[in-house]
Amino acid sequence: MHLHEQKTLLTRRHFFARGALGLGLPALASLWPSTAQAQEGRAVGGLPGMPHFTPKAKRAIYLFMNGGPSQMDLWDYKPHMNEWFDRDLPESIRRGQRLTTMTSGQARFPLAPSKFRFARHGQSGTWVSELLPWTARLVDDLCVVKTVYTEAINHDPAVTYICTGSQIPGRASLGSWLSYGLGTMNENLPAFVVMTPTWTRNNDQALYQRLWGSGFLPARHQGVALRSSGDPVLYLNNPPGVDADARRRMLDSLGRLNQRTFEQMGDPETQARIAQYEMAFRMQTSVPDLMDFSREPRNVLDLYGPEVNRPGTFSASCLLARRLAERGVRFIQIFHRGWDQHGNVAGDLPIQCRDVDHGCYGLITDLKRLGLLEDTLVIWGGEFGRTIYCQGALTRENYGRDHHPRCFSIWMAGAGIKPGLVYGETDDFSYNIVENPVHINDMNATILHCLGIDHRRLTYRVQGLDMRLTGVEDHGPVRAILA
Amino acid sequence: MIRIFLTQRGCWFVLGLGILGALLQVRADGRVQKQSVETVDFNKQIRPILSDACFACHGPDENTRKAKLRLDKREGAFARLRDGSLALIPGNAKASELVQRVFAHDPTEMMPPPKSGKKLTEEQKDLLKKWVEQGAAWSAHWAYVAPKKPALPAISQPAWPKNAIDYFILARLDREALKPSSEADKTTLIRRVTFDLTGLPPTVSEIDAFLADAAPEAYEKAVERLLASPRFGEHMARHWLDAARYGDTHGMHLDNYREMWPYRDWVINAFNKNLPFDRFVTEQIAGDILPGATLEQQIATGFLRCHVTTNEGGSIDEEVYVRNVVDRVDTNGMVFFGLSVGCARCHDHRYDPISSKDYYGMFAFFNNLDGPAMDGNVPQHPPVIKVPTPEQASAYAKVEKEIGELQAQIAQAVAKVKYDPSADDKAPPPPKFAELIWIEDSLPAGAKAVVDNGVNLAWNFVGKPEPVHSGDKAIKLTAQALQQVVLQEANPPLTVGAGDKLFAFVYLDPANPPKQIMLQWHTSNWLHRAYWGEDLIPWGRANSTERRRIGDLPATGQWVKLEVPAAQVGIKPGMAINGWACTQHGGTAFWDKNGIVTKTPQGNGPFDTLTAWLQYQKSVNGAALPKPFQELVKQDPKKHNDDQKKQLLKYFLETAYSGTRDLVAPLKRKLDPLQKEKESLDKQIPTTLIFKERKDERPAFLLKRGEYDQRGDKVERGIPSFLPPLPDKAPRNRLGFAQWLVQPDHPLTARVAVNRFWQQCFGTGLVKTSEDFGSQGEPPSHPELLDWLAVSFMEDGWNVKNLMKRIVTSATYRQSAKITKDRLAKDPDNRLLSRGPRFRLDAEMLRDQALFVSGLLVEKVGGPSVKPPQPPGLWEAVAFTGSNTGVFKADSGKEKVHRRSMYIFWKRTASPPQMNALDAPSRESCIVRRERTNTPLQALLLMNEQQFVEAARALAERALKNGGKSNDDRLRFLFRLATARLPEAEEQTELQALLQDQLRRFQADAKAAQQLINVGETRPDDALNPSELAAWTLVANLVLNLDEVVSR
Repeated sequence: MHLHEQKTLLTRRHFFARGALGLGLPALASLWPSTAQAQEGRAVGGLPGMPHFTPKAKRAIYLFMNGGPSQMDLWDYKPHMNEWFDRDLPESIRRGQRLTTMTSGQARFPLAPSKFRFARHGQSGTWVSELLPWTARLVDDLCVVKTVYTEAINHDPAVTYICTGSQIPGRASLGSWLSYGLGTMNENLPAFVVMTPTWTRNNDQALYQRLWGSGFLPARHQGVALRSSGDPVLYLNNPPGVDADARRRMLDSLGRLNQRTFEQMGDPETQARIAQYEMAFRMQTSVPDLMDFSREPRNVLDLYGPEVNRPGTFSASCLLARRLAERGVRFIQIFHRGWDQHGNVAGDLPIQCRDVDHGCYGLITDLKRLGLLEDTLVIWGGEFGRTIYCQGALTRENYGRDHHPRCFSIWMAGAGIKPGLVYGETDDFSYNIVENPVHINDMNATILHCLGIDHRRLTYRVQGLDMRLTGVEDHGPVRAILA
Repeated sequence: MIRIFLTQRGCWFVLGLGILGALLQVRADGRVQKQSVETVDFNKQIRPILSDACFACHGPDENTRKAKLRLDKREGAFARLRDGSLALIPGNAKASELVQRVFAHDPTEMMPPPKSGKKLTEEQKDLLKKWVEQGAAWSAHWAYVAPKKPALPAISQPAWPKNAIDYFILARLDREALKPSSEADKTTLIRRVTFDLTGLPPTVSEIDAFLADAAPEAYEKAVERLLASPRFGEHMARHWLDAARYGDTHGMHLDNYREMWPYRDWVINAFNKNLPFDRFVTEQIAGDILPGATLEQQIATGFLRCHVTTNEGGSIDEEVYVRNVVDRVDTNGMVFFGLSVGCARCHDHRYDPISSKDYYGMFAFFNNLDGPAMDGNVPQHPPVIKVPTPEQASAYAKVEKEIGELQAQIAQAVAKVKYDPSADDKAPPPPKFAELIWIEDSLPAGAKAVVDNGVNLAWNFVGKPEPVHSGDKAIKLTAQALQQVVLQEANPPLTVGAGDKLFAFVYLDPANPPKQIMLQWHTSNWLHRAYWGEDLIPWGRANSTERRRIGDLPATGQWVKLEVPAAQVGIKPGMAINGWACTQHGGTAFWDKNGIVTKTPQGNGPFDTLTAWLQYQKSVNGAALPKPFQELVKQDPKKHNDDQKKQLLKYFLETAYSGTRDLVAPLKRKLDPLQKEKESLDKQIPTTLIFKERKDERPAFLLKRGEYDQRGDKVERGIPSFLPPLPDKAPRNRLGFAQWLVQPDHPLTARVAVNRFWQQCFGTGLVKTSEDFGSQGEPPSHPELLDWLAVSFMEDGWNVKNLMKRIVTSATYRQSAKITKDRLAKDPDNRLLSRGPRFRLDAEMLRDQALFVSGLLVEKVGGPSVKPPQPPGLWEAVAFTGSNTGVFKADSGKEKVHRRSMYIFWKRTASPPQMNALDAPSRESCIVRRERTNTPLQALLLMNEQQFVEAARALAERALKNGGKSNDDRLRFLFRLATARLPEAEEQTELQALLQDQLRRFQADAKAAQQLINVGETRPDDALNPSELAAWTLVANLVLNLDEVVSR
């Protein structure tokens, strides 16, 4: 146990010892830090000295597009490629760099220009593909980074890398680091919440629990999945036939018996356990309240598009993300699947975009409306990009694209980020970075920075090493995009 | 005296500061000994500071070393620096550059430099200064020096120790002026030790027997009984399997099923039969290359195969291969050395003396697997071995024997037949490709139409003038969405040869054309499909032989020939087609003249001549023949030598010649079912992944920055130079590596092992960082005890049961866990062991306890993993769509769902939720120390999870049926089952009040009562009153959630 935790416990122990039996547990429960207190910024359970400096963002929402969205069909506009249709990728561009074995055996690498129209949007004049009409309205709030890169070229290692800082399973995920470092602002909800919405194509790459796992960090920091059917949080609901009153009555007895145990054995863990059971009881109220959209006004629901009313969709998850953000949840991550277009970009990519476009718009607009975008960071992106050359059959109308780690596009918005900016430039083929490369560890360092964390100083000792999210190489926040 | 240092990371550790001055102690031999004043202990106090703050730039890694100053070795630390100064001058802190620098304030001078992010506390600085002043005594890192068995130290209470352990513990307590706690009461003790040795609580009769046994050796007797229980092996194995990263899936990408549980069972058996730990290690690392390796020893090598693997499309083979080897090396490093060797994969280790070359030297030992890097998404990722049960082995042997006898009879029968070779001269010329029409105006011989009037419609043969292509009739099919005509079980089937094409004629109604048409063929399955038009019919894997797009829809209003090379839909030469389907998505179409273009004689003989048979076999690539013949029949018969000719003739006469068929057929009729039985027996025999050495030695290279494609120098097999060398006679392979690990002067293996066993019993190891014995790890709380245990473990023949017995029979272990204010202040984390260990049960123990005390647990050692229920959607939320672990389906039947938790099916990308919430690792990588957290999600799990609720109900039933007549008796009974003790009056009152409240509630709401008691796999006893049972269920639910019950 860490000293600061010990201190917190000592405080709890103090008031338990003085008043517990006299007050009775329900009364005690109400003495617990409430949401209101938490929103004053008093986090519970973080590390001493954290955040390292005054943060712009108190929380973050990460919209993860699992599979590798095609950057040149969405954000990285390459008009010259039209003249290159079906010509071979020049060796001066490929430079012998490695490919996945899905295309490394191809006889040719014929170029596939995007078939989608691009237009400039907003005051910033940012180029956006026709596939993202709703997101396009937001460009003046977004910072599009076109030059993120990674070393991994297959899904499992790549997505593990960007989410945990290592291609090999076993490390702590971004959200668990935030929970560990910054603590929670609402003890009635987990500090790190994950959603895995449905997706129309319903056929694609896997996710792994390790992407929101806590790795070597204590397991309480792992992401808690919020589910759209069954118990929203695992085992939240009492068994059939047991209502809240019955549970309350049982917990009263349990608390008193455990308090006796504490008095006899003196083990601080017993008191911590009493508190955890009380918190569990409060979650049984706070989570259903969170999931209940019935009091959201029509005009707010409409921001997220028609799918917001279908539980489990990306849009519904975005609204939940806003509601979680309002309640002080530190980190919310939504994993949308299906972005692995090895073939049929023309057919599948529009479906993928339709799934997420309106929800993204709703989320940013709604956060803005509530003033929450000022202290909330939002990130959109996948684990790598896709190749300009075609995988499989190439026509003007349709084509496929293999994985491409050397550049891909993401956007960030909100607290700490310069709005209306396009950062980084790739070559005409969206193959190599020409200026301002951003390694995925730089990106993660940037996210940490927005939340007031020096990525080099958020460490955890494992096997004698001070592990950190951003690895041992020299990486750091991208100053140029920081507000 | 204890000081608590708060480091910049917020971790705190306790440093025992030397020895208190002039403390008089009584040694074990009774003589009085005077101790010296506070000396700084280099290993305990100084090396950790140097390691953490200095080694990154002044440590083992040559490439990052600054100012040529090396502080991890004595020679380096005391060497003269380039500018002539000395980092350390013993006895002269002022002149020592190191001391000057750590006290410097100028950012360019101070050490560690500000940009390192490291900072020393004032206490640490003072300690360094004091150490230099006291003479800068230096010793090698404690863990790299072979342990020697220390003498028992002097202690203050000679009557307290029960064995050697207690001398070391008490000596340390004496130094801290603490007294050991009194012995725990017998009830607490029997519950504690039963959990620690078997993972389960004691039964009431076991408790009673122990309480009634007043003999001094009662406790030892109980321990002996527990060590002999098969539950011991299960419990011990469960800990080992975390370290071995055992799982039931491959762990990456598709995360498909992996058949590996025989390895898990091997571990259980190894602990149960008390396999000496040195053999336990050796068999897992090198069981396959032990002389005369047994099946068991080969299974043991599964340890080296438990790492996660992938078969992700696009993966680069060598990259995956290297990743697999790296996992083996890193796991070995953590499990046996207690070191993070993995750092040296990319660069020389910054803290411990492991160079990259050392790393790849070890890599070279584990680099020689005779099998592919990618797992193929199959359960049996080679190399694997079959693991028959004794019953399976004898059944298999019996069938093989019977087959042998029949084959001998066939050979005898054939020997009597004369074959005239001149018949071959008269044999007809080889056939040419020709159309063979199979469905024309009616179904082929033996075929049955499949009709259910849902998807499968009746075959509607229509005559002219409807469009008919040939013969008298065509098949008319009008489909609403997906519909088809299907035939199966045709006999004789169509035999397919090399280069054959399947065809059908189709006429699409221009007024109502289908959106998609499809042909499907059945061989041993229906996974051969060709389609034209849109991709609306979702059967089979897209873009594969299961669902191959041939082209656009043909023109409407005319007959068009559809033609599909059999190979394109996965029908290989020699396969037989006995089913055919014409399928449409919507529209009306006429189908006619279905068949095959082939030159293969149909009907599979018998053949009058060898030549005719060979022609047939050539066209089907000899698919049904034994391997050697397959190659022969593809060749020109003229090229066969005499011996080959003779063998072919013999085989022909036995199997296909018209002249012997009558003689052989009756025998063959007996033989065929036996061969089928043999095959099916073979399929039932479980397999497990093993390690097998390649014949040649795969070279290993130093990989720059750890990258698989950045090869440097070739590296020979070797071990790090700071450890003792490989024994002279040891082979340079994994066996030599294992022998080296367990040689008596190896400083790490025994220490690391005993520390983990200690950790199991006390919650924390003597070295808290049980995964790191290196210079960044925490020094042992009781170094002499660790060494004493390690050496006696080896002297004892690495006897695990003896070691466990030694630990749990110590007075230290038997102490009461009660925490007094004084103890909490002086020994907050119980690192000094001034009290007994008390901590929350592990995930598996919690679930097993609930099932056990409620009487639900089904005990059976080993076997395939089981799937108790879990909330829906957990696998589906993450799984790849094509994964065979993509959809969770719970097992049914208590003999599966109520097994011990160590048998739960472990899908590694979505681990069992009831384990995951309670800190069980995902098993994706090696873990030797579980966290023990305390969260609201755990509370929700223990209160609400289906099986915990079911256990509460079953426990309530036990109380109602067997607990006596009065509610008070029943409460006492129930309480005791879970806690091992009787409730005190106040507790009894509390529970009684709860029971009464709940009785009222459930009597008023019988429906709620019924709902609650119906949770779970098993049904409640109808004889019990539902409201009463429900009320008791909630009481039992409380009892199972008591802090006392979830802890031990």
